[in-house]
Amino acid sequence: MATEQRERWGGRMYFLFAAMGSAIGLGNIWRFPYMSYKYGGGAFLVAWMVGLIVLGLPWLMMEFGMGRYFQKGAPGVFAGIGRKWEWIGWWPVLFAFMIVTYYAVIIVWSLRYVISAVSMAWGIGEAGAQQAGAYFMGTVLRISEGPHVLGSPVWLLLILLAVLWVALFFVMYKGAKVIGKIAVWTVTIPWALLVILTIRGLSLPGAAQGLNYYLTPDFSQLKNVEVWFGAFSQIAFTLSLGMAGMFAYGSFIAKKADVNNNAVITGFSNCATSFFAGFAVFSTVGFIMQSLSIPVDEVSASGLSLAFVTFPVAISMMPGANALIGVLFFICVFFLGIDSAFFLAYGGVVAPLRDKFGWSRKKATLIVCIVSFLVGILFTFQGGLYWLDIFDRVACFYGLLLTGAISAIVVGWVFGAKKLREYMNSTSDFSFGPWWDWMLKIVVPAGLLFVVIYGGFVQDITTPYGGYPAIYTWIIYISLVVTLILSFVLQAAKTSSGKSAVKK
Amino acid sequence: MSTGAIITIIVMSAIFVAGFSFCFARLGKGGKWED
Repeated sequence: MATEQRERWGGRMYFLFAAMGSAIGLGNIWRFPYMSYKYGGGAFLVAWMVGLIVLGLPWLMMEFGMGRYFQKGAPGVFAGIGRKWEWIGWWPVLFAFMIVTYYAVIIVWSLRYVISAVSMAWGIGEAGAQQAGAYFMGTVLRISEGPHVLGSPVWLLLILLAVLWVALFFVMYKGAKVIGKIAVWTVTIPWALLVILTIRGLSLPGAAQGLNYYLTPDFSQLKNVEVWFGAFSQIAFTLSLGMAGMFAYGSFIAKKADVNNNAVITGFSNCATSFFAGFAVFSTVGFIMQSLSIPVDEVSASGLSLAFVTFPVAISMMPGANALIGVLFFICVFFLGIDSAFFLAYGGVVAPLRDKFGWSRKKATLIVCIVSFLVGILFTFQGGLYWLDIFDRVACFYGLLLTGAISAIVVGWVFGAKKLREYMNSTSDFSFGPWWDWMLKIVVPAGLLFVVIYGGFVQDITTPYGGYPAIYTWIIYISLVVTLILSFVLQAAKTSSGKSAVKK
Repeated sequence: MSTGAIITIIVMSAIFVAGFSFCFARLGKGGKWED
């Protein structure tokens, strides 16, 4: 409401932990280490750090800074720039909603595996290693043969999903202050667990061999455009940008508080966590290679299969404390995911809805939780994994990159990069020079469009996405168009005060 | 472990230590956290 005081974080520490928690997620474990291995080890890290400085940090600062300037979530920010731009804020809100519906199901899988790990349900020793894949696909997901066969819901997953959304509601309806306080724990606990898992991984035979694949630099790879694509895409995906939430998180910052230092600490913390997580992952990969006498190419070191197949394989093969390590690993996955769920649901969806329609926090949170749960039921079906993959391509690839590029262009060229930079510099712990303006105006949109064209449109048009029939690639593109139309519908919707424009 | 991998660990650790040291040394030099 226009007269209501904007909610605030309980303090700087809570904001930092909430922002770090939203940025640090499952991708830090299942995407970054694999990208480093795939694209030249240490050489990839050079491209990755360049990507952080020229793309990730300017984009992150833009979202924090604009949120703070207008004291609104993403749609309110763009409506503040000009009424006709409001849809640019709604588009990522729709993607955030889409992402959180399936992200919650992945969190549920981790809860399911905490239960499974207590009894090492997929088995111990080589027998367990061989059954881990079948356990995930057959027992946990009861996977169907393709997206065209949805099957029936997996009831345990559905029940756990309901429990999770009830828990998320009870945290989120209390607002940013409570989310920040909880984030202190949900960020610290996975860090501690990562340390334990890394120590355990490094103590296993074959760990050094795995780390060589992860870290040994191959600088000749820097001439390869694929490496720069990999590095820029990793930075684009890892900071939880383009999902509306960081605008809202920025809007909860006090009007005269720092932006620049908070953004750099958030970005660096996320990257340091990724780098560290690589030790846990690739020491384990090396252990599997040695234990099963297989080459690195045959160990699945990325994506869902890393978390739910490769790690269970390694846990089965460990010489002792299998169940304990299994439980700790999946609790770690759970906590890595839960902050991102708060961020997506509250910062990404609840806050913009409240800004626009003036709903109470409880009402907005309740509606978002119920609708997200109902949509998320789709992903608990036997064919849910396929649809999760397709929705992920829509929202977490195309959606995120396209909205990020458009946002940077409008903020950089219409609102003014210089104006934003001077505004942020005026209250920040340190300042950025005019070079930052060009990063926002040119490099961020160009980098994001490069990733979406090179890794998206070019690939998906020549080879249908995910090996699915071509119809599913069309579903991806149609979904993008439908969400775009919905963004304009939301722009046109009346506010709570009956006016169609959001007050600055 | 290979020499290249060890050098990578040292360089990346130095970057993160330097980055965090700078950020935390500047903490509180800017605006106020309260409205």
